Amino acid sequence: MKWRMTLFGLSLPLAAGALAMMIAGGAVAQDKTVTVVLSEEPDIVDPCESSRSNIGRIVKQNITETLTEIDPKDGSITPRLATAWEQVDELTWRFTLREGVKFHDGSDFNAENAVIAINRTLNPNQDCEVRLKFFGNIKLMPAAVDTYTLEVKTETPQPILPTLMGTMTITGPKTQEAKGTQNPVGTGPYKFVSWTPGQEVVLERFDGYWGDKPEAEGARYIWRNESAVRAAMVATGEADIAPNIALQDATDPKMDFSYFNSETSRLRIDLTRAPLDDIRVRQALNYAIDREAMRGTIFSKDVVPSTNLVVPSISGHNPDLKVWPYDPAKAKELLAAAKADGVPVDNEITILGRLGIYPNATEAMEATHAMLQEAGFNVKLQMVEVNQWVDIFTRPYAEDRGPVLQQAQHDNNSGDAVFTVFFKYGCEGPQSTICDKEIDRLIAEASAATGDKRRELWQALFRRLHEDIVPDVMMFHMVGYTRINPRLDFTPSLSTNSELQISQIKFN
Amino acid sequence: MGTYLARRAVHSFVSLAGLLILVFFLARLTGDPTNLYLPLDATLEARQEFAERHGFNDPVIVQFGRFLSGLAEFDLGTSIRKHRPAADVVLEAIPVTLGLAAVTMIVALLGAIVVGSLAAYRPGRIFDRLASVISLASASAPDFWVAITAILLFAVTLGWLPTSGTGGFAIEYWIMPIGVLLIRPFGLMVQVVRGSMLTALSSAYVKTARAKGVTERAVIFVHALRNGMLPVITVASDQAAGIANGAVIVETIFGWPGVGKLMIDSILYRDFAVIQASILITAAVIFTINIVVDIAYAVLDPRIRHH
Repeated sequence: MKWRMTLFGLSLPLAAGALAMMIAGGAVAQDKTVTVVLSEEPDIVDPCESSRSNIGRIVKQNITETLTEIDPKDGSITPRLATAWEQVDELTWRFTLREGVKFHDGSDFNAENAVIAINRTLNPNQDCEVRLKFFGNIKLMPAAVDTYTLEVKTETPQPILPTLMGTMTITGPKTQEAKGTQNPVGTGPYKFVSWTPGQEVVLERFDGYWGDKPEAEGARYIWRNESAVRAAMVATGEADIAPNIALQDATDPKMDFSYFNSETSRLRIDLTRAPLDDIRVRQALNYAIDREAMRGTIFSKDVVPSTNLVVPSISGHNPDLKVWPYDPAKAKELLAAAKADGVPVDNEITILGRLGIYPNATEAMEATHAMLQEAGFNVKLQMVEVNQWVDIFTRPYAEDRGPVLQQAQHDNNSGDAVFTVFFKYGCEGPQSTICDKEIDRLIAEASAATGDKRRELWQALFRRLHEDIVPDVMMFHMVGYTRINPRLDFTPSLSTNSELQISQIKFN
Repeated sequence: MGTYLARRAVHSFVSLAGLLILVFFLARLTGDPTNLYLPLDATLEARQEFAERHGFNDPVIVQFGRFLSGLAEFDLGTSIRKHRPAADVVLEAIPVTLGLAAVTMIVALLGAIVVGSLAAYRPGRIFDRLASVISLASASAPDFWVAITAILLFAVTLGWLPTSGTGGFAIEYWIMPIGVLLIRPFGLMVQVVRGSMLTALSSAYVKTARAKGVTERAVIFVHALRNGMLPVITVASDQAAGIANGAVIVETIFGWPGVGKLMIDSILYRDFAVIQASILITAAVIFTINIVVDIAYAVLDPRIRHH
């Protein structure tokens, strides 16, 4: 009997605790502060790293703004801190800056301070990701012409400089020079309040903002690594938005939205190694893949089979290209024809996958492996970690490498195809395995062109790649899932992959 | 006791030095982390500059010399990932993990002593069987699954508890993480307590005590338990060291910024300074746990004290 009493005694405090919880009823956010649950803790809150997803979602266009902004719907460029821009000559752009804009610390936004901000991000002695990702090959020389006129000179013609400036966040002039500020100051609608490492980042509405007063009074960012937990937090009202949840957790159509996350998946073909140097073999690879069988099983049902390495809203996407049909008989026929001409089609080809590059990455490669084997290819599958994968994916390439199909995914939400084509397909491109004179000519011509002409040249380039060269086994334009609490009125878009503008959120 | 502690301290220092050297060189065997930090589109020159700036191009022995000279000035280096001193990053995480470990071990130990002792008191009876089944099941439960299921049940479906987070360390935020963490040590320790109590209760001195007319409560909790505790302390210290090393699953799922998660992330990102700092600091914690355990042995068992 005694032990029964003891057990009861033990369970009593637990039950009491649970009861207290019921009364407390969890932390339901009914105020006008938006709580965002990210997939991982930001390492740093420096705006010069805002091209990284989870940092951009906190900082970009919330704390710090850019001179121009890229419209996720059609890739067009709209004014933000600059109201107008014009190309003075081939090497010079002039931006007219918005007047009456203040930084959160009270400093004035003007051309002189814009120069300080640009030079900070582009400082060659530190590794700001915005510089490394978008300005690695470009030297900018910004100068103040007068209070509200900024002139930017470049060493080589930069016809899309206004697009590029959509990635350059403008920090306050008193920001420490070295990367790693823990007190980001900008001109945005929200100012930085605090960052408690391991716990949260807090922003509050900036009363001196130049634009319309946003509805949300503040934002709080927390993070959980586990997708199921993020989804549960929105379901219980502990958070309002989980920008990125896994397919298997997106179970409630009232809360879960799919959106093109600007990623396009593919297998990069190494064209320099036999038998992959023969176009019939590359065509056969594409015919051998049953993309429909993978859609809704390994990949989400919302993904779209791709023909271009950029998503449809990026300027230069060619909508007229045809998705490779699944035709194993045709694949076998092409392989046989190549073999008859002496192409060593029996050489072993390695499918080099990268662990976790996207959900079900390994399963996708296992299915691809089986399909290629079925079509008569001699393939083996190898899954590697990111470090090893990058070594093989970027120049300099190892001389003794064999034929490789490398699992890859490319993200371009920057508005223009130039961010894609030079790196992936130019003769000198750091991740290119092809060298085609026509492609290089198109890259040069399109880079120097603007407007419709530019778009048509990119489209011609994607047509040549898709039909005449076949440098990839194209897979899908990928989707992401965002869970949004019904109390908010907000729709995720292409840009949700890299930013989350709290000022665009309304309350229902 | 003084000499004993000094001797333990010297032993621990030697093994700690060995551990640090091993970790330093093994971590660097995993390669240059440049590719993990720079975007795919970064130029080759940018990659070389990055490696140069962080000293990855120097011979490993030169990097080791730099590490030692920093250590001499109590400087554990700067986290490449977080741009902050590695020691700060680790010292923020340590209290979280230690808090989890301490509460878990106290609850698990007390629970295991009560349940294990009662099970051993009347072996083979219903309570004993029940305790065995429950403790074996909990010793083998996958904590990842238990954690997610608990969130879905207690937070989403019933709405009794918050899903996750530390919530300023309010009590309701502790319940699920502690509950998940203690399952395994509790199950294991119930088994150990039961086993060692069975031996103790059938020993001659317990029979003598009963013959003298000592109450059953005193027989169990004074005479038998004190002797039966020695193996339990050994297992408990082992379990405590395990949790102090990082309750990775619980920290990850419940979003508790502890040292286990920090270590795993630092290894994934090859953030060498943080790997080294966290190993150094957790090793010091485990050294302290071992000392406490040694003292506990001496208190519980006069035979150890007299030697």
